[in-house]
Amino acid sequence: MLVFTALYSIAGLGVAFLLGQCGIVSLAQSVFFGIGAYSSAYCTTHWGWIAPTGFVVGIVASAVIAFAVGWPILRLSGYFLALATLALAMIGQVLFLEWDWLTGGTLGIGGIPKLSLFGFELRTPQRFYYFVWPVAALVLWLYANLLGARNGFAMRAMRDAPAAAAVLGVDTHVLKVKMFVASAMLGSLGGSLFAHYVSFVSVDSFTVDRAIHFLLIAVLGGAKTIVGTVLGSAFVTVMPHWLTGFGDFHPLLFAACLIAAVMFLPDGFGGALQRALRRQGQA
Amino acid sequence: MAALLEVRDVARSFRGLHVLREVSFEVPEGGIVGLIGPNGAGKSTLFNIVSGFLSADRGRVIYAGTDISDRSVPQRSYAGLVRTFQTPQVFPHLTVIENLMAGCYKHTTTGVVANLFGSRASRAEVRRMRAEADAACDKFGLTTIRDRPAGKLPGGQQRLVELARAVVGKPRLLCLDEPSSGLNTGEVAGLMAALERLAAEGITILLVSHDMDLVKVASVIHVLCFGEIIARGPLGEIRHDPRVREAYLGA
Repeated sequence: MLVFTALYSIAGLGVAFLLGQCGIVSLAQSVFFGIGAYSSAYCTTHWGWIAPTGFVVGIVASAVIAFAVGWPILRLSGYFLALATLALAMIGQVLFLEWDWLTGGTLGIGGIPKLSLFGFELRTPQRFYYFVWPVAALVLWLYANLLGARNGFAMRAMRDAPAAAAVLGVDTHVLKVKMFVASAMLGSLGGSLFAHYVSFVSVDSFTVDRAIHFLLIAVLGGAKTIVGTVLGSAFVTVMPHWLTGFGDFHPLLFAACLIAAVMFLPDGFGGALQRALRRQGQA
Repeated sequence: MAALLEVRDVARSFRGLHVLREVSFEVPEGGIVGLIGPNGAGKSTLFNIVSGFLSADRGRVIYAGTDISDRSVPQRSYAGLVRTFQTPQVFPHLTVIENLMAGCYKHTTTGVVANLFGSRASRAEVRRMRAEADAACDKFGLTTIRDRPAGKLPGGQQRLVELARAVVGKPRLLCLDEPSSGLNTGEVAGLMAALERLAAEGITILLVSHDMDLVKVASVIHVLCFGEIIARGPLGEIRHDPRVREAYLGA
């Protein structure tokens, strides 16, 4: 569970920073997650290449696709942009299913080798855990750096008041495309890790549901804070699993928890945590 | 002396309504120029065309000897042409100091990759941004509110933050859209003093307003009415112009 939390955090972070820092609602993350997963699966099983090539192929392919698609659609904003990204997720889902020469269609691709690090095979969840969390931490560190730097300020300025940001010299369209590409690369990284962890990928893992799942991580966690993403991702990963103990109506319970979380924690878990810490600091 | 900004025969209509008809005026380098007119005169449209938010149907905008009619807003900003908005556009979730740091964007250069890895250049740049923003806080009397979110401030202070943020970017031509609206008398006096100080520092100011008190600071005033410039000159002169009196007081 904690491994999945980290995996989803990595891809979810891509959505969270688009939403929280750039004001872009993206439902397309499942596509890039899928591209990463299939790249890793195909490169390692079909060609027998070493694992890192799958990561690189996935990240490069995601970046190219995100650029090609992002350039036109990021001229849109608000709901229109959200719908355009949703359409992208649906197209992705169909292509993952139909291009079975590449993705294995409904059968998927199995037998993806486990990752190994310096000859040490990450075949147990524990071992993978110690690998994936540092990767997640690295990604969070990069993200924190970006936020505090020049382009981080420009992103937040663009989110708050796009016209005023343009007056300060920020080319908002170019910046949005850059961030969309970065987000897609993160999604792909998450997808590749996912493929190596579960050893089997099929279209079920990259549906529109998955895209909404990533958006939930961002919204629940509180898109404006970094830690929030990890908490959000823990919630959507651990909670449904834990609730299965309550019987068949567990999806209903999860839905109720979701509604409660959104109602009572409008800034997400991260925002709530931040407020609590601030109160503590003042006391 | 060559004009810093030259608006040449600019016309613009919306669905057949002629908002601007062949408007021409110049802003010489240095000093303050006013552009006034009653509501609906076309001031905002003209202002949007100058700052690049709208394009003109006909006519050119020449800035520092270059035709900038087809340049984007950020490109104009890099050339030194910066505007403010009628309703102040601060970045509400950023603190005052962060707003001003964002104002330093043009004078910084690091790319996204350098930012991600927190390179030395990237960190040095942020320190420089903070120092410049701090200095601007002092200059505009914002030090006591520097760590407050800009969106939570009263309107008058938001205007000041917006002005300070524009000035941090070291503009050559600063275009202010109704900077006194929403300010009380004391704040207007403060604003007038600030504008005169900025002009003395060498920033050329184009002031759009319908506030006759504020435009006292301008050396030349252009009066826009129904899409045409009907009078131009110092305040004392245009005040007695019969067409201006008619436009403002009604026939």
